[in-house]
Amino acid sequence: MARSSIMFALAFLPLCTMPAAAQEAASATGLPVTGSAPQVCTLAGGELQAGQLVNFNGISGDTLQVTQLLDQQTLAARPASATVSFSAVCNYPHQIRIQSENNGLWPTDGRQATDAPGFATALPYDANLTWGNSSGQLQMDARIRSNREERIDVDQATAGTVTLRLAILAGASNGGVNAPVLAGVYGDTLRITLEPK
Amino acid sequence: MNRLKFFAALAGVVISAPAQAQSASDSADFAVVGNVPAICVGGSVTEAGGIFDLGILVDTTTGFLRSDLSAPSQVLAGSFCSSRSSIAVAATPVVAQTFTATAPTGFSRSVDFTATAAGWTTIPASFSTASASNPAAIQQRTTAFSGPITVNIGDFATTGGTGLRLVADTSYRGTVTVTLTPES
Repeated sequence: MARSSIMFALAFLPLCTMPAAAQEAASATGLPVTGSAPQVCTLAGGELQAGQLVNFNGISGDTLQVTQLLDQQTLAARPASATVSFSAVCNYPHQIRIQSENNGLWPTDGRQATDAPGFATALPYDANLTWGNSSGQLQMDARIRSNREERIDVDQATAGTVTLRLAILAGASNGGVNAPVLAGVYGDTLRITLEPK
Repeated sequence: MNRLKFFAALAGVVISAPAQAQSASDSADFAVVGNVPAICVGGSVTEAGGIFDLGILVDTTTGFLRSDLSAPSQVLAGSFCSSRSSIAVAATPVVAQTFTATAPTGFSRSVDFTATAAGWTTIPASFSTASASNPAAIQQRTTAFSGPITVNIGDFATTGGTGLRLVADTSYRGTVTVTLTPES
């Protein structure tokens, strides 16, 4: 009886080990990888687009100079145009703002007379801007010397080129079409800004 | 009294009879059995709570992925397997968590990388999130082993190409998973 009992127990051993075998277990450890990408906008220096320059000298640093602002015979404004491109990127929905400091080309010398009957004292011009799928226009009418700006919403991250086309129309002035322009140095500052909405 | 003594003596004989039968020797075998199940334990992480924190992913002057991205190694200390085993490493790309739409043209919302787990096998297990196939992700060890596993990540690349920039997002997240599996 004793031996039988032992053999009986042995016969059950394999069954008893089954739960133990089920304990074979894999072990998995998860390690998160984290980071962030802050809001970034960049705007490189301007470059003239080839073949898009009419009556402009070219770009020097941040300055774009008109070759011959007036017709030497009539003293009326001569047409001029230029297209400038800026490599740019904004990695989030944003706005682009173009701002004219003077609302036209105005005398840079503050001592210059601004009330000379029969003469124009400022020159209007247009700026057209393209950025990604968005575009806008800012017209500087030169009627009042003041800031003027245009804001364009851009609803997605954009990378590429900001294209700015500047144009002075023939005879444009704040004194009427083809009015003679008072002698002096005329200028304006255009500022392009990529920024949060 | 005498009668009483007699019965007492008789009873003593009857009871003692089985005791005389034990005088023959006998033996019995008892099996003492046990087993050690095949178990693997991944150990505990010692570095920075087990998080690969890459910080800021982009060069803020260009918007492109930083070329110097790195994170300290993570060590799974006290790892062991009581039998032969395999180690497997898997990973998912580091993906923007808030920006879930398709990235605009010129942008990506994901960063690929390669994760390696070294110290368990001669050849570290390695997994690249940019690869469709990762044959080196599983490595076998023929003996039981106990020791630390060092996990590293590197070879970062913007998903879709290096010419893409990452969309802004305060939370990018991916995972590395190291699995020890006992093998019979």
